[in-house]
Order: sequence, then structure tokens, then C-alpha cells
Amino acid sequence: MTETSEGAALTGIPGGEPHGLGASVPAADVYAKAAGTYPYAADLWAEGLLWASVHRAPHPRARILSIDTEQAAAMPGVRAVLTHEDVPGEAAHGRRVADQPVFARDTVRYHGEPIAAVAADHPDTARLAAAAIAVEYEVLEPVTDPEASFESEPLHPDGNLIRHIPLRYGDHEVVGDVVVEGLYRIGRQDPAPVGAEAALAVPRPDGGVEIYTGSTDPHRDRDLAAACFGLPPEQVKIVVTGVPGALGDRDDASLGVPLGLLAMRTGGPVKIAVTREESFLGHPHRHPTLLRYRHHADSEGSLLKVEAQILLDGGAYADTSAEALAAAVSFAAGPYVVPHAVIDGWVVRTNNPPSGHMRGEGAMQVCAAYEGQMDKLADRLGLDPAELRMRNVLATGDLLPTGQTVTCPAPVAELLGAVREAPLPALPKEEGPASAWLLPGGPDGAGDPSAVRRGVGYALGMVHMLGAEGTDEVSTATVKVTGQVATVLCAAVESGPGFATLARQIVQETLGVEEVHVASIDTDQPPAGAGGRGRHTWVSGGAVERAAKMVRTQLLQPLAAKFGMSTELLSIADGKITSYDGVLSTTVTEALDGKELWATAQCRPHPTEPLDETGQGDAFVGLAFAAVRAVVDVDIELGSVRVVEVALAQDVGRVLNPAQLRTRIEAGVTQGVGTALTEHLRVAKGVVRHPDLTAYALPTALDTPDIRIVKLVEERDVVAPFGAKAASTVPVVVSPAAVAAAVRSATGRPVNRLPIRPQAAVSPE
Amino acid sequence: MLPSTLEEAVAALAAVPAAVPVAGGTDLMADVNAGQLRPAALVGLGRISEIRGWEYQDGHAVLGAGLTHARMGRPDFAALIPALAAAARTAGPPQIRNAGTLGGNVVSAAPTGDTLPVLAALDATLSIAGPAGARRELPVSHLLAGVDMLRPGEVVGYVRLPLLHAPQTFLKATGRTGPSRALASVAVVLDPVRRGVRCAVGAVAPMPLRPLEAERWIASLIDWDGDRGLAPEALSAFGEYVAMACIPDPAPEDGEGTPSALPPAALHLRRTVATLARRGLGKALA
Repeated sequence: MTETSEGAALTGIPGGEPHGLGASVPAADVYAKAAGTYPYAADLWAEGLLWASVHRAPHPRARILSIDTEQAAAMPGVRAVLTHEDVPGEAAHGRRVADQPVFARDTVRYHGEPIAAVAADHPDTARLAAAAIAVEYEVLEPVTDPEASFESEPLHPDGNLIRHIPLRYGDHEVVGDVVVEGLYRIGRQDPAPVGAEAALAVPRPDGGVEIYTGSTDPHRDRDLAAACFGLPPEQVKIVVTGVPGALGDRDDASLGVPLGLLAMRTGGPVKIAVTREESFLGHPHRHPTLLRYRHHADSEGSLLKVEAQILLDGGAYADTSAEALAAAVSFAAGPYVVPHAVIDGWVVRTNNPPSGHMRGEGAMQVCAAYEGQMDKLADRLGLDPAELRMRNVLATGDLLPTGQTVTCPAPVAELLGAVREAPLPALPKEEGPASAWLLPGGPDGAGDPSAVRRGVGYALGMVHMLGAEGTDEVSTATVKVTGQVATVLCAAVESGPGFATLARQIVQETLGVEEVHVASIDTDQPPAGAGGRGRHTWVSGGAVERAAKMVRTQLLQPLAAKFGMSTELLSIADGKITSYDGVLSTTVTEALDGKELWATAQCRPHPTEPLDETGQGDAFVGLAFAAVRAVVDVDIELGSVRVVEVALAQDVGRVLNPAQLRTRIEAGVTQGVGTALTEHLRVAKGVVRHPDLTAYALPTALDTPDIRIVKLVEERDVVAPFGAKAASTVPVVVSPAAVAAAVRSATGRPVNRLPIRPQAAVSPE
Repeated sequence: MLPSTLEEAVAALAAVPAAVPVAGGTDLMADVNAGQLRPAALVGLGRISEIRGWEYQDGHAVLGAGLTHARMGRPDFAALIPALAAAARTAGPPQIRNAGTLGGNVVSAAPTGDTLPVLAALDATLSIAGPAGARRELPVSHLLAGVDMLRPGEVVGYVRLPLLHAPQTFLKATGRTGPSRALASVAVVLDPVRRGVRCAVGAVAPMPLRPLEAERWIASLIDWDGDRGLAPEALSAFGEYVAMACIPDPAPEDGEGTPSALPPAALHLRRTVATLARRGLGKALA
């Protein structure tokens, strides 16, 4: 994909709006979002609403001796105070394992764990009342080192080990001519959504409740909430509002439980909009990870064996950690052919902030480590790092260490070749005056050109698409056509990846209808599952396509029968139906004859299986790959790093919306730069330090490199609808490793920790 | 309350003693919005035009406390006090620089306040307006060190600092390329008339630090009547001297023997200060 073909796609239809698959159709809500009229959950309002606030634990680990809500309840304006005693249904919830209490009862397991909730007639009153709840603690020594978690007393009745995968593949006695070892640490990245969590709950006359929030999997969240309320799921409805940024599972739903309880208790609508600080404390983060690696290779640089020990810090509750571990262990060797592997992965409980789903979880951490190992191996063998990688790349038909055969396209060599051949960015002195050079540290920073060294680094990486290990992936969609307008009803939440736009494109393509609307989402519709890992492009997109095709058949069948031809010989474009020979020509409106056509369809990809007791199994539906070359400037005295350029080649299957794809890749690379350089939520003995966006440094426009997409390999994945692959996650996984490799080449330092601290990028010369 | 003169502001504060003065509000209002501060009333200083400019007074500049960072960053101001202009340009994104004021930076007294090391290096004094027309002068370092505090009803009106007509630098090390708080910052100003070098280090301690011995030592090496250049070794030694003074080795625990080593992060901070001081002086003398 180049600038020119993107431009062509935009202007390809003379005089018309871009439409259909492969065109840069803009999202329907872009204007509302730009103008500030797009409603997010924090903007919701209801007549006479109350405001909620949550009392959160100030300690990472403590025994609760008593909770005194009397003073808070007596404050003027306070309408309800709830604790664990007021949860009528299940006391615990959780996305995969119900091990997380709604309100802590006798034990606090992380800093910020909810203990009580308050509803009051003013947000400040609610906040003051929540602060007035007196909790007596016996503070305990927190377990914050995941390595110590194995030995320490259980932090939870379910034990400290959430999952262990001992992967054994091939002959584990093999020893290579060359062996390199490394220890790597990955920090705690926060999803830092632009909009902090918010929700509105409204009680229903039938004793149920409706929750309006930015949920990314409304049906699952409804089931969790209903279980906690002690209600049948039909009496709980989640209405999805605008999602203000989601890089994982948003935590809005866990707010929905206390909020729903407050609404049912007070009998009126209750709203919550958390502060940035609460947002940092409450939602799941990227798993901090410790990785120990040993790579064996022959003297030619062919990989023989990978040994790895991977330890994920799961925080206090299981959440989706088991899945993150499966990805980490399965991709521990990366997109390389490795005949033998001994990989042990653990995810354990600690009293650190919660960990959970966060783009590329598991895959990102191991990518930084195995690519560090590849650099180390290249250095040992005296080989060019890109050349060493080229000698080992995976291709279709090769085996993963899980024993799964890679059946989807795996153009890893082509991707690496593309980034290797791309021209390097010019050096500043070739570009013009020194004053125009953006040094590490910024335009008015302390950078000194004489201390700046440039480095180039490569990384390859992979992610899986959809859920793994036997997750039932299914989505249901309905397409309706009336007159000139088509409507898509599908509970796939648009959290940024562009599903809503894609759904419109699919219907435009299949039915030739220009005006396509995507209906708003609530849990009265059939479920479509969670987003992430290209799920909605694949599963929900597939369901929309099927439903649209069914409508098409319903529309064309009578015409085809009348003229004695099959429906395949008829085509629809620009609202007109024409036959292959041009004899028949009519409009869609005429063919509809005032009727409304509906069709509902499901898409369910082929099943997967769980990893067995030696980490073997066909656990993944599909894989996506990318190659990244990062160019950095490092001030080797201050250790400040600026990423100058990221060149990326990605395996995308098929480009469905060029502009949207570019946006997703740019967003992924930008997040990857944050992972590599600045994003780490600091914790001291389990207590979160400075939970704000001043201390937690996200990349700004000045930190974002030039992002050059040098190649998008369009080799269709035959099992995927449209042949498209997940596009958002791979750049997040691979770019941090490439930045680390580039800093390594600029400084000669090992760089085995992300984010890269300035002291690790200082080079004594 | 929106007074239009300093007198009115002071009177307003006297009338409502619980009121809090606010200028740009970039620190204060964030705390108010987060519910951490609940001032009974606010006295807005934004309409007091007399403190939004500057004037000259026997070799000194008298800067209004209401000068914004954006205004101080402009070239005309940079020609007067280059280091203060450089510091103002690094203070956050444009939205913050447009609102945040010099006086606010002083009164907030955050360790990372960008203008503070420059004011410390220039030995700035504050002119404070008090109740019933009272005026008093207070060295900025006394306020930052907590030797003397603002009393109830007082407002910082002006900041007075010398015009040295010589090179000055301000360098700030940060964690990212975009605007961010200082990990460490160093201001270096030359005073050719008194043949002095003055240096202050910000963000490594609760208040800017002045390495006085290092200043005197390096000033004695400079050929003030010649080209003022120094050998690279001297610049490096100055950097080390400044850094050791500001981030000293911890005292030996047993009173003798080798001092216990600093943690790696502190050693890196010391190296950063040394680099900034060396580069800052080098640029000032170049």
C-alpha cells in the first residue's frame, strides 16, 4: 500500500463517495467526534440522577477488621451506602474466573480495590461521603515480587499460581554450537484510555436495571452483573454508549455492578464518572513480565533450541491472565523455525495492580525478549542481525513449538526483505541546517548533536487472531433493507478498530445500497462477543456478509425466477440491478416493491483446542506477522532517545479500508513507542505512585516517529472472511522490540528492560 | 473576584481571608477540579495589567508576576534574560505556557518549576504587596527554602533581577521528546562585570541548588578579558564539581571508611547534572 494507491482508492469513483470494500470509507461518526457532539458515557444525563463514588483501599494488602459506614450514610445528600453485605447475588465476578469480589469483604488484595460505594445528590458529596467511610485495617506485608509469590502464603483461596504451561517440543537434550543467554524485564503499561471510565444505571419497573456504559463485550458484562445482582440476565440490559478509547477490556463494566446495585437501592438513576487517578488504579494493565532465555544455534546461525522461563505478574485476580500466558508460551520462539523447545510459563498472583487484556498481551513481552536474543546471537556469530533473522524465518507449512502447523499465509521473509530494502532516513547533516534537527529531548531540550548516535534495529513478531484454545467464537448479525436504506444490527462494539465502517462497506459491496446505517447496540440483540485481535473484522464481519448475501438472494430470487436465470447472473451496483447480458435493468427500490427484507446470520470459525499438559495443541485460528525497522537517535550522555523513523511491513491478508488500516498501524506503532520508552505505571511496595498523565508519560506528537508503511502483503487467508487479518495488534507487539534493537545498536548496551530507562541508554565512550 | 490593580487584589484578600489568589491556574485549578482543594473563594489576578509586563530600574528588570511563560519565551524577552526565556519555552505544552505565570511558578514552588533555577542563579528578589499598602522585598531563595513565607493577604507583585548583558543558558533533561517535567535542569549565567559564573540546578531537590564553590572555582579559570574559552577538561571538571555538590555521596555509616554507593538511579541523575552543567557552561562561553 502506497500513498498513490490510497489516493486512487479515495478518488476512484468519479463524483461519488468512496464505497465498498477496499475503499477509504470514512467512519460515520467522525464529524460528531471532531465537533464534540458525539455522546460518551460521561456525557449521559437523566432527570434527577444521583452521583456515585467508590471507596477504594489505600493498601495493597490488608485484612479488613471493620467497615463503618454510619458517618457517611448520615451526611446530608447521601442516599445509599453499599458494602459487600449488600450484594444479593454472587459475591465474586471475573471475566474468565469468578474470583474477584464486587466489594472486598475481609481481605484487600490490591491498592484501589473497591470496598464500598456511595450514591449522593452531588458528585462532591458522593466523594466526601466515600472518603468518610471508616475502614479499620490490619496492614499486611504485600507480595509484590512475582518470584516470591511461589513461596509466599496464598493471597487468594484459589492459590497463587494462576496457570503453568510447561511446553516441551522436540528433543530437550540438544545443545547448540553457540548458546546465548539473557534476562529481560517488561514494565507495567497502562491502557490510559482518553476517556476515563463512566456509566449510568437506571432502575426498571420490573425490578431490573439498565446500564449505559462503554462496554466492549456487553453480553458478557450483562451476565456478570446479573449474577451479582441475583437477577436473571433478561432483567439486566446493557446499552452501549460511545467508547472513548479501548486498548483492552474496559473496566466500565465492573463499575456497572456497584452502580446497578445503587440504582436498585435508591430507585433512581445513578451515574459515575471516575477520576483519572481511579482509572489508573482500577483497570487492568499489561502483565509485567520477567523472562529468562537461552538460545541454541549452530555455527551457521540456524536456531536449534529455545529454552525459556516466562513469569507473568497477574496481579491479585485471574482475569484473562491464562490466555495471556498461552500466547506468551506459544510465541516464545517468535516467527522462526525452532526444532526443539523447552518453555515454562507461569502467571502468578501478587498484590500489584491488576493485569489483564491489553493489545498483544503475552505476545508483546516475548517479542521483546526473543528479538533481544536474536541480536545477541547475531553479535556472537558476527552476523548482520537482519541476516540472522532471515536464515531462520517461519513460512507456511512450518510448525510452531506448540506442534501446530502454520496453515495461513506467513510471508515473514518477504516482510523482512521489504524493511531491509527500504531506504534509510537521511542523516540530519544531509537534511539541512542543524537547527532543524529534532534532537532527543525535544526542540528546546538539552540535546547536543556531538553526543547523538544513530542506531538501526530490526524486529519480527507475530500475534494470534481471535480467541485461542477452544474459545467459542461466534457472532450474529442482522441486515435489513428498506427502500434505499440498509441497516446493520450487530452487537459488535466499535471501540476504534473500525468495525462499524467495515459493516457499512460490506453491505454496500453486497447489496449495492449506498446508505447503510449501523444500529446502536444493547444486550437485547444477539451476542457478538468481545473485540480485539481482529475478532469483529473476522467473525462479525463474516456474519454481516452472510446476512447481506441472504438479503441479496431474497431480493434477486423473484427476478431471477421471472427471467429464468440464476441469481449469480444478476449484479447490483449503485442501486441498480442488471443482468449479465444487460437485458434486465431495474432499481433496487423497484425490486423491493415496498417490502422490507431482513436476514440474520452467524459466523463461527473453525474450532481450536486447548494446549495440553506439554503445551501442545492447535490452539489458534490464525496468525498475523509484521517486520519493523526502527531508527533512533540517542544522546549517549543523557540517555535520551528519540525514535526517528519506524518502517513497517505487515501481513494483512487483504486491505479492506486503506485509510483506516493506516490509522490502525500508526496507532499501534505509537503505542509501541510508548511501551519501549516511557509507559510504565510505577508502584512502590504495591502502592501505585503518581497515577496521573504527568508522571505516566504517553508519547506526544514529538515522540512519534515518521511511520513508513513500506509494504502491506495481501496474501489472502482462505479461512477468513474476505481473507483479511487482524491489523491493529501486530505493530504494538513488534515495534517495542525494534526500538530496543535500535537503541542497542546506537549505544552498544544490552537494553534488556522495557521501557528503556535513560541510564540503560547511556554509553561510556 | 476580579480586581484590576494590586491594591484591589490585596484588599479583596483582606476582606475574605479564606480566599485564594489565582493567576494562570495551571496548578491550582487542577487540584480544585480533582476535588483536592476547596477554596472558599478565588481572587483572580488575570485582570491586573500592571503585573503583566516589565520595566527597567537601575540595571535591573522588574518583571510582573503575571507574565506568562508564552510571553517570556518570545525573542524580545529572550534578548533581555536569555535563560529565563529558554526555561519558559520548555515549560509544558503551549496551552500551559499561555496560562501559567512567572509568579505562579514561584508560589507553587514545585521542585520541577522550570523558571526557578534561573531565578535562583540570578539571585532574584520578590516584591510582595501586603495589606494596607505594605510592600516588602524577599529573596526568591528565602521563599523557596521556606526561610520566609508569604503571609496572609500577601500577593507576589514583581520579580526583580539583574540585567547582565551576557550569555545565559538553561538546559533541561526530560523523559520524552514532547513536553514533560524536568528530570534535572541547570541554569548557567555569566556576570562579566563581577567576573562571576552563577549556576543553579533544578528538579534534583525540593528547591534549586547553587553549587557556590564550583561557581567560584570555574570563574577563577576564565580569562574574562580574553576569549573566555575553557578547555573541554575544565568544562567536564566543572560539570563533575556541580554534580557532586548537588548529589553528594551519602555519609559513611560508621563515620569512617568508604562511603556507601549511591543507587544506580541517583548515579544516573548525577551524571545527567554533570552533563547539563558542562554543556550549559560550554554554550555560555562559546
